[in-house]
Amino acid sequence: MIQKIGIIDYGNAGNIFNIKKALEATSLGMKISILHSAKDLKKVDKIILPGVGTYRDVMSEISAWLKDIKEGVLKKPTLGICLGMQILSEKGYEYGETVGLSAVGGEVLKMPVKGRIPHIGWSTVETIKPSKIMKGIAAQEQFYFMHSYELVNYTDVVALSTYNDHKFVAVVEKGNVFGVQFHPEKSREAGLKILKNFINL
Amino acid sequence: MNKIRIIARLDVKPPYVIKGVHFEGWRKMGKPEDLALKYYEQGADEIFYIDCVASLFRREIFYEYIQKTSQNIFVPFCVGGGIKTVDDVAKLLHHGADKVVMNTYAIQNPNLIRESAKVFGNQCVVVSIEAKKWDGWWECYTDCGRIKTNKDAIEWAKEAQDLGAGEILLTAVDAEGRKKGFDIELMKNVSQAVSIPVVASGGAGNLEHIESVITQGQVDAVAVASVLHYDVLKIKEIKKHLESKNIEVSL
Repeated sequence: MIQKIGIIDYGNAGNIFNIKKALEATSLGMKISILHSAKDLKKVDKIILPGVGTYRDVMSEISAWLKDIKEGVLKKPTLGICLGMQILSEKGYEYGETVGLSAVGGEVLKMPVKGRIPHIGWSTVETIKPSKIMKGIAAQEQFYFMHSYELVNYTDVVALSTYNDHKFVAVVEKGNVFGVQFHPEKSREAGLKILKNFINL
Repeated sequence: MNKIRIIARLDVKPPYVIKGVHFEGWRKMGKPEDLALKYYEQGADEIFYIDCVASLFRREIFYEYIQKTSQNIFVPFCVGGGIKTVDDVAKLLHHGADKVVMNTYAIQNPNLIRESAKVFGNQCVVVSIEAKKWDGWWECYTDCGRIKTNKDAIEWAKEAQDLGAGEILLTAVDAEGRKKGFDIELMKNVSQAVSIPVVASGGAGNLEHIESVITQGQVDAVAVASVLHYDVLKIKEIKKHLESKNIEVSL
């Protein structure tokens, strides 16, 4: 059976188009669908939580089917990208304190750096632990970041990056829940490799 | 140190990428989808696509070109031209843009910056400033360097940041397309006035120009157009030069 990957639609926000395009560019067989409801969610094998938006806005957009998403994330392999990774956490503070999906531990806080925020651009990601999602990626590889907030997590970290001498979490992995702070769909071949790893799980 | 980004800038008058001098005397350079792919393959860190006539002609951007141009580009794709509402931003994101550039309507209605940042996050909103130098100050222009606004560029950069802009695309109207170097003073003044990244644009003619706008202008990224369109420089060559001068880039 051909696997079905679903991308959750947050309404206005989300970079769904580009994630879909990047998944297609891997040339691996799959059916990609955009999920708008609990009913859609039931039909897919894997879930992608896209990025772009704000923690508070996205949690409010998905409030109607929050329970189903939480259940889905527990049962089906899930990849959160950028903001999608951040909402996997317990809590966020962008535009006010907001409870997240709590699939991984930790909170999302404004990056505590002196230099320019948002952190926009290519940074080296260093894998510190064997990981399914980072399989085949060089121990130090460059990925594209675009964020002002970071996930503060000490338990599920598999890769770190550095911005203005500040180390922060780049990748988390807990069972079949994966989160990447960077944009794999915008990180050339290395980014596509991450998506391939997720598809091949 | 953080890596300096080298961005390929496409000024588009559909269906062609055009290039002029001081935003005037446009010549056709090629199709946006072909040039975007060419610069992606050369190693561009990002691609900027600016529809130069959308706001001038008071029309919406052509979404089919956005979709087509973004098709095989797996680096960030930033789009601007005629963005008036939060819905326009959403539509662009759904057609392949990762972030948007706004100028004309952001000056007319600064709340557009605030509203867009609230829905899509600050990192998604790039404010473009086209500045013309007068005696002791720089004035913001809109509609691709055509309409005066009486607004001080440095003050507007700060205001845009406070409203929620995540980045400033800064073009010196007088230097644009001349390949004689950037307006370093403008770049430096704006870079020091804000804490969000600043992208320098307008004036790159050789490697030294690019190097000095980074070291002296203190910008975080450089957008290049003419030197790429006329094959004067290739992106790899720019990055290798910067690396040899101890400026970190993504190679």
